[in-house]
Order: sequence, then structure tokens, then C-alpha cells
Amino acid sequence: MAQSLAKEFTKGLWAEIPPFRLVLGLCPTLAVTKSVENGIGMGIATTFVLVFSNLLISLLRNIIPSKVRIACYIVIVATFVTIVELLMQAYTYELFLKLGIFIPLIVVNCIVLGRAEAFANKNGPLPSVADGLGIGMGFTLSLAALGAVRELLGNGTLTIWGGTPIFEMAEGFLPFRFMLEAPGAFIGLGLMLCLMNLIGKK
Amino acid sequence: MREMINMVVVLTVLTALSGGLLATVKAKTEVQIENQVLKFQKAPAIKGIFPETTNDPLAERFMIDNEGVPLQVFPGKLSDGSKAVAFETKGTGFGGAVGLMVGINVDTDTIVEVRVTTHSETPGIGSRAKDDPSFASQFSGKGLDTNFSMKADGGAVDAMSGATVTSKAVSVAANQAKEIYQKLKPEIVKQMN
Amino acid sequence: MNNNKLIVSHAPFWHDGDSLFTLNLNLMIAALPAVIFGLVQFGMPALGVLALSLSSAMVWEYVITLLSGKKASIHDLDSAVIGLFLGMMLPATAPWWLVITGTFLAVVIGKIIFGGIGANPFNPTLIGMAILALSWTTLLDFDAAYVNYDFDFTALVPLAAVKAKGALAVSDLFPLNDLMMGKQVGAIGTTFGLGLVIGGIYLILRGFVRWEIPVSFIIGIVFTALCFNLANPDKYAGPMIHLFSGYTLFGAFFLAPENSSSPVNRIPMLIFGFCAGLIILLMRNIGVYEDGTVLGILLLNLVNPLIDTIRPKALGKGVNHA
Repeated sequence: MAQSLAKEFTKGLWAEIPPFRLVLGLCPTLAVTKSVENGIGMGIATTFVLVFSNLLISLLRNIIPSKVRIACYIVIVATFVTIVELLMQAYTYELFLKLGIFIPLIVVNCIVLGRAEAFANKNGPLPSVADGLGIGMGFTLSLAALGAVRELLGNGTLTIWGGTPIFEMAEGFLPFRFMLEAPGAFIGLGLMLCLMNLIGKK
Repeated sequence: MREMINMVVVLTVLTALSGGLLATVKAKTEVQIENQVLKFQKAPAIKGIFPETTNDPLAERFMIDNEGVPLQVFPGKLSDGSKAVAFETKGTGFGGAVGLMVGINVDTDTIVEVRVTTHSETPGIGSRAKDDPSFASQFSGKGLDTNFSMKADGGAVDAMSGATVTSKAVSVAANQAKEIYQKLKPEIVKQMN
Repeated sequence: MNNNKLIVSHAPFWHDGDSLFTLNLNLMIAALPAVIFGLVQFGMPALGVLALSLSSAMVWEYVITLLSGKKASIHDLDSAVIGLFLGMMLPATAPWWLVITGTFLAVVIGKIIFGGIGANPFNPTLIGMAILALSWTTLLDFDAAYVNYDFDFTALVPLAAVKAKGALAVSDLFPLNDLMMGKQVGAIGTTFGLGLVIGGIYLILRGFVRWEIPVSFIIGIVFTALCFNLANPDKYAGPMIHLFSGYTLFGAFFLAPENSSSPVNRIPMLIFGFCAGLIILLMRNIGVYEDGTVLGILLLNLVNPLIDTIRPKALGKGVNHA
């Protein structure tokens, strides 16, 4: 049991890591990863929604009629997204301001609905939570990694949390501003995907 | 038939539960959110509108009644001795409400400055209303007899290119602020003293 | 694997019987007059930039083909041409990391990612240049780049000066003779107008570049510039300044006719060249950019597949979707 739970958890970290392997949830991936901090914040918010929506959907999976299941999922997901939005407003307001419109957009994030449809409605609550947690962590890690690349090249800093950079490039570094633009996000994501395939192939 | 009823019941119960949960969370976080908004949104906007005041507009804020709706007013004593007030109005933009803090000089009845506080506009397009000062600065120093509509609609404000909806939201909010102020001026002045 | 006897590939089918090696070698030979002039004018730093960009472009291609397990293809000299052209478009003062980043962007992002030679929808050199220009505007500002140089002519970028002050104010500063003979501030390999024209004519005569694109490109520039100039001669410069400054001639003969990102048929080629010239002039005269050549040609690369759907009717009957 514990072994299978661990398996559900770890698959989200490499084998099915969302933006890279599933290539899902690209909207927030491209839009908010201007810094590590934004990536982590977005990832944690998505993880929260994923875990709770997976849990609830798997608990209710025998009650929800299959014809209206998508509507039910949306109601559940939207509820948790709104809760996250309110909580972020209340406790991490600056981050909420940076992420802005992309927090409510978690509702239409393919990852959340995809996990509900592909996993939670076929499995029990514990594996579903493990799955949600794993996928969420994978998503957070990917966003943080992409954010790190973009922030380091595009701005010359690394900001993990709280707005103060923990690392700054040496004086005289001229930032590669292209990486902060939207096309830079696409190219950064593509090159990282390349790298992962290269490592995975060996 | 049975399936039909089942569907209706499940969805209804689910939605009701969700509504109840959200109402609870909203009620629990309301005060905290208001504090945060005050700290991170209104305080910088007030600071931008009244860079130098001899009093503390945030601490001296008071509520007045605008036809049943409470309105938060921040009084400021400007460095040149004249009195001013700032309050927030809302217009509807592309992504929801756009909050606009409007500072009005009570002695001369002119706009001191306006600042966009909250918005959910598209980053890089509508969000310029907040980030790019050249749009908001059009309002500075204008008398309250100005029509703050878009130039295309016969007013005096240039829209931001590509962001007409947001520009309109700001001008609607500014016009609204003008109306509220003209209506409530006696009461505001009374409260300030 | 013995199944590569019948490979069905899609357009373009442009082929003149030469190998890629001879094509690219001739492109480099044609660029020589302008390059040598640039080396004489800007000295050793220019040689450094060119050498680094040419070699780093080839190294990038080699490294990436090695990593991805493909057959090494640097011997066709394609990446060498990309590197050389990129170096020619940079100022002589470009720092080493700018050159290396530029060739990475040009060769890897501009070409290899799309599937290597012949599959790139955009001109690779221009992809590299566009991204560099977006990121490090100040380093690619030719006015600022040459402050330590001592020239015997006006040390101002012609197009920037025209844009800032209007054509009338600067009309005496840039005699046509100077512009043509390369006596102007600009990138290493794009200032010597006459040399570029000689190289271009050589390429056209040898058949490596199809004449339609450069000719219609130049017509587009001259026509549009003339229209603007007639409308307001005080503000907009005449066609000759536009033709002999900035990247214009380099774009006309070397960048726009790049084989896989330009049309195949004659009418589309004429449209392609003319529209590129038109867009560049619109950017220069109305837009915010001093020299729109890079973005103008990229834009036309983007619509190239659309223009190329204008093609001759197939002969015979029964071919509805030829």
C-alpha cells in the first residue's frame, strides 16, 4: 500500500511532470514564471487546489452521476480556487498582486481537471491525494526551474521568497531581457524540454 | 427519470455546499483582506496622491454614507495648507472592477491626482493604467467641471492605445468620483473638521 | 536502414544543380568585398568579432548535432555563413559573449530547432539579430559603439540622425558618395554599399540568388522612400539615403533571398521583395525603429507560405487541387 502510494507520488516528479512530460498547464507556466518566487507561489496554489479537489472528487466518485461529472468537477475545483484566492489575498497579498488574474485561471488549468478525470474518479482517496500532491509538487518544481532560468538570465537575480533576491549576478552583467518576454518563456520551456528528453533518453 | 433526479439533486447539493463553504471562508477572511488592501493598495495610492501631508490620511480615515453605501474617505492636509480628500471608486474594465483612488482638493475643487489601485486587467495592456503614469497624469489638476469621458465620446481624456476598455473604466470611475464628491461635499467638509 | 531511396519532401524544390557547399562558399565570397572593407575601416576588433562569430556558429552546430545524435553537417558551411552574416551585422565593439549568444540563437533557435538546413521558416541570422536587438539595445547602438573611434567623416548613424532631426537638418552631413563608399557609421560588413552591390551582382550572375527578390526589394525601398520624400521632404529622407545606409543593401542581396525562407515562384518573389522594402520603410518613417530591416524581413518570412500559394495553374485537366 505504502509502496503504491509512493509510486503515485513520485510519478508526478519525473515520469509525468506536468509542463514537461504531460505538456499541460502551459498558460500559467509561460505567464507567471518571470521569477522563482512567482513560480513557487503559483505552484503551491495549484498544488493546494489539486490535492483537495482530487480528495473530494475521489470521495464522491460513486455519487457523482457520470453525465454531469464535468460540471461537478468544475464546481469543486472552482470552490477551491476561490478559497485559495481569498487566502492568498488575506495572507500573501503581494504575491497575489503579482500573480493577479492567473490565480482564478487555475479553474481552467488542464492539469487540475485532467487529474480529476484521469485519476481521481477511478481511484480511492489516499492514492488520489498522493497523486495530486506529486503532480502539484512536480508542477511547482517545473515552474520554479523555469522561473530560475528566466529570472537569472533576464534579470540577473534569484528570488526564492519575500521579494529580496538571494543571489545577484556580478556587477556589469547585462540582463538578457528577451528571457522575460513571452517568447523567451516559450524558448526557455522548449530548451528545458529538449534537455529532459536528452537526459531521459540515456 | 431516476437518473435525472439524481443528477439534479447531486449538482444542487454540491453547489449549495460550495456556496456555503465559500461564504464561510469569505466571512472569515474579510477583515484580514481589508487590512491587506489598505496596507498594500490604498496606502501606496494615498502616498502617491498626497506625497507630503501634515497629517496621516490613513489613520484619520472615516466612513460617510453614500445613499446607503458606506464610503471610505481619506482626508489629507496638503503642505501648502489646503485640504484635500481621497476616496476610491470603481469602473468595470476588461477583467472585472478597476479601482481608482481619486484625490480632490476641497478648497479649489480640482483633482490632485488619481491612481489605479486594484485591477485584473491584462498584464502589459490594460495594466498600463496602473504602471504607466502618463495615462493617470492626464487627470491631475483638472477642475471638477471637466468631463472625464474619452475624447471619442466628447470628453477630455486620451485613451491608452490598445486598452480602450480599461481607459473607459478609469474615466467612468473618475466621473463617478466627481458626482459623489459634488453630492456629498457638505458632509465631507463637515466630517473633516 | 535502406529506405532512403525515395524521399518525398515538400516545397521548396529550388535547385540549381550545385551542392550546398558551393552555394555557401559563393555566398561568403560575395560578402568578401564588404567584409574586407569593414576590416580595414574598423580594424582588429572587427576581425575578432567576425572570427569569433564564424567559428562559434560552427561550434554550436557541431555541438548540437553531436548531442542530438545526428550526422554532423558543418561541412556544408551553412552555419559558417550564418555566423559570418551575423558578425557582419554587429558593431566592431560587440563583446565576445554577445557574439556567442547571437550565434547560438541564430544557429540553434533559428535553424536546428526547426529541423536543420532547408526547414527553417525564418532567416536564422535575422532571428539571432532580432533577439539580440530586443535584449541589448544599448550594445547595438552604433552611435554609442564607436565613440572611441576617429573617423574622417560624419560619425553619426545616418538613419538614426534622420529619424531624430528630420531629413532637412542632416542633408549635408551624408553625401551620397560617402554612403556608397562606406564612409558611414554602421555594422562591420554592411556599410560599404558598393561592395555589397558588387557581391550581390556576382551572386545573381552565378545564379545563387534569384534576381527577383533583390530587385523588387530595392524597388520597394526606393518607391516607398520616394513617396514619403515627396509628401514631406523636410522630414523624410530621400531614397538614396535609405538605400545606402543601415542594413538595406545587405538585406536585399544576402538576407531576404535566403533559400528556405523566401518564395519559390516568380510572382510571389516579386511581392515578397517589394513588401519587405515597403514594410522596412514604414518602420523607419512611421514606426519607432531606426532600421526596420531585421524585423521587416522576418515579418515577410512569416507570411512567405501564404504568398507562395500564388502559383501557376497546372497544365492539363482534372487537377483541381494542384
